[in-house]
Amino acid sequence: MSNVPKEAIEVIAQSIGITNLSPDVALALAPDVEYRVREIMQEAIKCMRHSRRTVLTTDDVDSALNLRNVEPICGFASRDALRFKKAAGHKDLFYIDDKDVEFKEVLESPLPKAPLDTSVTSHWLAIEGIQPAIPENASIEAPSDGKKAEYKEDGLSVDVKLPIKHVLSRELQVARNLNNFPLMFALMRVARSLLQNEHLHIEPYLHQLMPSIITCLVAKRLGNKFTENHWELRNFAAKLVASICKRFGHVYHNLQPRVTRTLLHAFLDPTKTFPQHYGAIQGLAALGPSVVRLLILPNLEAYLQLLEPEIKRHEAWCVYGALLRAAGLCMYDRLKMFPSLLAPPTRPVWKSNNKVATNKRKASTDTLMQQQPPAKKIATESAIGGSNIGVSSMSRPLSNDNMLGREVGGRVSKTSTVLAQAWKEDTDPGNLLASLFELFGESMLSFTPKPELSFFL
Amino acid sequence: MENMQAVNSFVAAYLKKKGFKEAEQLLEDLQKESAPIDFHNDPDLAKFIHHFSQSEDDVARYQDGYSKLRSWTYSSLDLYKHELLRVLYPVFIHSFMDLVAKGHLQEARTFFNAFHEDHELMHSRDLQKLEGVLSQSHLEEMEFARSLRQNKVNIKICQYSYGLLLQYLHKTQSTAMLGVINEHINFQVTSGQPGSISDDTEVVTLIGSCQDAASLINQKEIHWGLLEDSLEERLEKEGGLLSDSEKAEAENKEGDVDDSKKRSVEGGKQGASTKKLKKDKAVNATAKSARPEAKPTPAAPRVKPELTLPVMSTEVEQSILEDLRNRVQLSSVALPSVSFYTFLNTHNGLNCSSISQDGSLVAGGFSDSSLKVWDMAKLGQQAGSSTLQGENDSTSSEHVAGPNGVKRSYTLFQGHSGPVYSATFSPLGDFILSSSADTTIRLWSTKLNANLVCYKGHNYPVWDVQFSPVGHYFASSSHDRTARIWSMDRIQPLRIMAGHLSDVDCVQWHANCNYIATGSSDRTVRLWDVQSGECVRIFIGHRSMILSLAMSPDGRYMASGDEDGTIMMWDLSSGQCVTPLMGHTSCVWSLAFSCEGTVLASGSADCTVKLWDVKTSTKAPKNEEKSGNPNRLRSLKTLATKSSPVYSLRFSRRNLLFAAGVLSKNV
Repeated sequence: MSNVPKEAIEVIAQSIGITNLSPDVALALAPDVEYRVREIMQEAIKCMRHSRRTVLTTDDVDSALNLRNVEPICGFASRDALRFKKAAGHKDLFYIDDKDVEFKEVLESPLPKAPLDTSVTSHWLAIEGIQPAIPENASIEAPSDGKKAEYKEDGLSVDVKLPIKHVLSRELQVARNLNNFPLMFALMRVARSLLQNEHLHIEPYLHQLMPSIITCLVAKRLGNKFTENHWELRNFAAKLVASICKRFGHVYHNLQPRVTRTLLHAFLDPTKTFPQHYGAIQGLAALGPSVVRLLILPNLEAYLQLLEPEIKRHEAWCVYGALLRAAGLCMYDRLKMFPSLLAPPTRPVWKSNNKVATNKRKASTDTLMQQQPPAKKIATESAIGGSNIGVSSMSRPLSNDNMLGREVGGRVSKTSTVLAQAWKEDTDPGNLLASLFELFGESMLSFTPKPELSFFL
Repeated sequence: MENMQAVNSFVAAYLKKKGFKEAEQLLEDLQKESAPIDFHNDPDLAKFIHHFSQSEDDVARYQDGYSKLRSWTYSSLDLYKHELLRVLYPVFIHSFMDLVAKGHLQEARTFFNAFHEDHELMHSRDLQKLEGVLSQSHLEEMEFARSLRQNKVNIKICQYSYGLLLQYLHKTQSTAMLGVINEHINFQVTSGQPGSISDDTEVVTLIGSCQDAASLINQKEIHWGLLEDSLEERLEKEGGLLSDSEKAEAENKEGDVDDSKKRSVEGGKQGASTKKLKKDKAVNATAKSARPEAKPTPAAPRVKPELTLPVMSTEVEQSILEDLRNRVQLSSVALPSVSFYTFLNTHNGLNCSSISQDGSLVAGGFSDSSLKVWDMAKLGQQAGSSTLQGENDSTSSEHVAGPNGVKRSYTLFQGHSGPVYSATFSPLGDFILSSSADTTIRLWSTKLNANLVCYKGHNYPVWDVQFSPVGHYFASSSHDRTARIWSMDRIQPLRIMAGHLSDVDCVQWHANCNYIATGSSDRTVRLWDVQSGECVRIFIGHRSMILSLAMSPDGRYMASGDEDGTIMMWDLSSGQCVTPLMGHTSCVWSLAFSCEGTVLASGSADCTVKLWDVKTSTKAPKNEEKSGNPNRLRSLKTLATKSSPVYSLRFSRRNLLFAAGVLSKNV
């Protein structure tokens, strides 16, 4: 009747030095041993339950023995699980592999880290019965649940809802469709439409939407055909991100910081490809001039050095154009704000830069400059009428190929200092302009507001 | 084998001689089944049986044997106890009838008187009949007795229980009992786990009793109404913000009659003593199960307090009234907000947690004997408060500053010498009680950060301790199978509630402080009268150890949660289960009713908080009670935590739900 075989009793007897145990004794002891074990287990389980646990530990067994006024068993408090090994040559005989430990090793081993002290944190598990999607809560596994909830909440008609459900689920699959360029572009447009629709309560799904959009912004490859203009998609996604940040930033305070952190990481990682850098720059630029001043300008010079060896490549040119535009718009913004502070324009040797400038202009025309035709025109005019009146505040003539940052040390440091200070509100836009001009040449001028520019003319 | 053969043949011959056909049959059956439990293969047994045949007339053997069997059964393993207990009743009645049959009438009477109380609960009617058996001829005449003698009792029993019983009978040489059992009981041995305690009813009907288990106790009258002159009631009378349902309550007639009196009492602030004088008032809140069809009362009736209640200060009263006015009305469509407190870095040491009424204090009891209390209000502004805290607590610097002078985020209470199994805040949050494996309960002051009293009384680990809803009194439950009532100012318990057959695992106060409920490892929940210390209800139905209890604020219902994840909702007046609530997959550690009693929250080891619609579950089955098909309690919402089993739950007076749990990696 017993689960404890008499062999077990015999083994135990041997282990404590009783060799002449008669089989009858073992047979009689076995059921009693089982009963005692069951009894201890019953108490141990109670102790486990009252410790609010579902896993039985050696401590529980010790507590149970304590309850029965039995000496606790020592030597099993180790954190590692005990391993029972099969004794060789025996079918049902197991033993615990108990290794000898050298005192010296134990003493010499470094002390373990002090455990962290217990603490309590609080968060909202639910607000009026609805679980907010915050990191402290378990993720909602089935988005369809959320859809249903939304369906109940706002009383919009069904035919509007159904397509949304469909599209959003496709939306979540952007990562799988990275090669399907038209689909991705369509999805981004859908996302924009969703965001623009004021009647939709899109906020709960932002966390699902954002990763897809950011993917379209800084993915390594978008589309698989050369003809597909992924630059355009990135521009579009950048604007989308910016619009989301603008609309929901005040509700979710960590939204924009998280976006910018992601983009900045992409921007500053030299191992990333140029299209990725391009997306990051565009994304940051779309968030406004202050973000550009804070995050792009301080890194601008170093980045241009990185870019320079690759400048012949189309991709690098695109990145260069994006940077140019970002910096330029930022400067434009500053100049607008402090027109009176305008410093003399920076016009170093124009002709020596001719080739580069033309190239640059071409690149920027291709990619971004469509939005700026008037300024562009003026810039061109000014370039054509290129007199040397505007002597740069740092009017050292530049040698032909120095344009992209091969300046002499002192010069560089000054430029970077100015750029590094660019985030400050009271930065002199003139200095900024000068520094930027130094890096970008006269194409910077295209961003100078018309009245100010005319001042130089 | 020869030995066994000899014994078998001897036994068979003996049985034949005595005409015990059934027993003979049973023996044959047993042999045929070739059960693994082979008690014939025992040389000693032969001796017993020889012995038995010689001294069968020994009357004392019955009394002695039965009393030993009884005490052995009561001390057996919880898991098998209820099965073994079933054996006692048939053994009892047949021992009695054997004695009568053999003409030992006087001894039979003594035997009956000594033990009949055990079975009074389940079989009172049968016992009344048997009590009238005064001679051998009665046994022949009385149809009931005759049928008992002629038929065998079928008892379903699991293999291990059966083995235990036989083993016991061998060891103690109680051949009289063995004879009775062989003669009158037909065991249906099942392999595997023991059956559920709720199968007991089956046994009861088999042996001819038509009474439901525990029904006698459950017929006692209880006053489940709320305390009169409660703050809620006063608020309603003041015409505060009333919902429609509460208006109906305010029209309570008794309330109107007493109104003027109460006002005067209120003014005099002598409430506690003068309330006693109003005992002459007829109490209209009695609910007898004898007539459960009593007209449905729209609101909870009012009852007098049986205890002297502590007097509440005016400021406290005002703040509570303020809370009541600002209470959010919860329902199946308006679910509560839940604030979750997560314990981090507990290293598997957290045994229990408790949250104060307003959620500002959180206590944790640890297996390293310590009790730690976090002030959540201060935690929010950590940087600024650390210095402030140091200044405030300079009197008890050892509580705040660690040995290295490192500031802790909590207040450490040290004093217990064993794992702390339970902690409870007083209603105002100024005291904490903790119970521990060191058999003591300690009272701590959160204002002074010091231990005030150590209550010694239990003899074994104290599993649970709970403050009464009005404070001052508290109840504790222990491994010593008792629950005790204490007051803060006495170090001895005021009442000891004994009756559970195993550990009392949890305890909870009724809303009117006149009753406490206890849940036990014997798988029953009992309701006790605080004043008399009597058990007034037994709730049978759970299939495993009870871990949590909650009383509805209207005092009418009780919820209990067990180890398997089942929650049962009980009607206190009838003692019947309203509906079982399935949903959790693991231990239900905590239960809490919302303040107006519309929502039940349950927290479980399966890392979820579930919200249940209580109104539909308690109202709807009322109508279809007869059909015997109670509809399931509706689960409103399951809130999953991030791998944090939920240890405790608490609704604030404004119906914000606080939950606490520990972040564990291995769940």
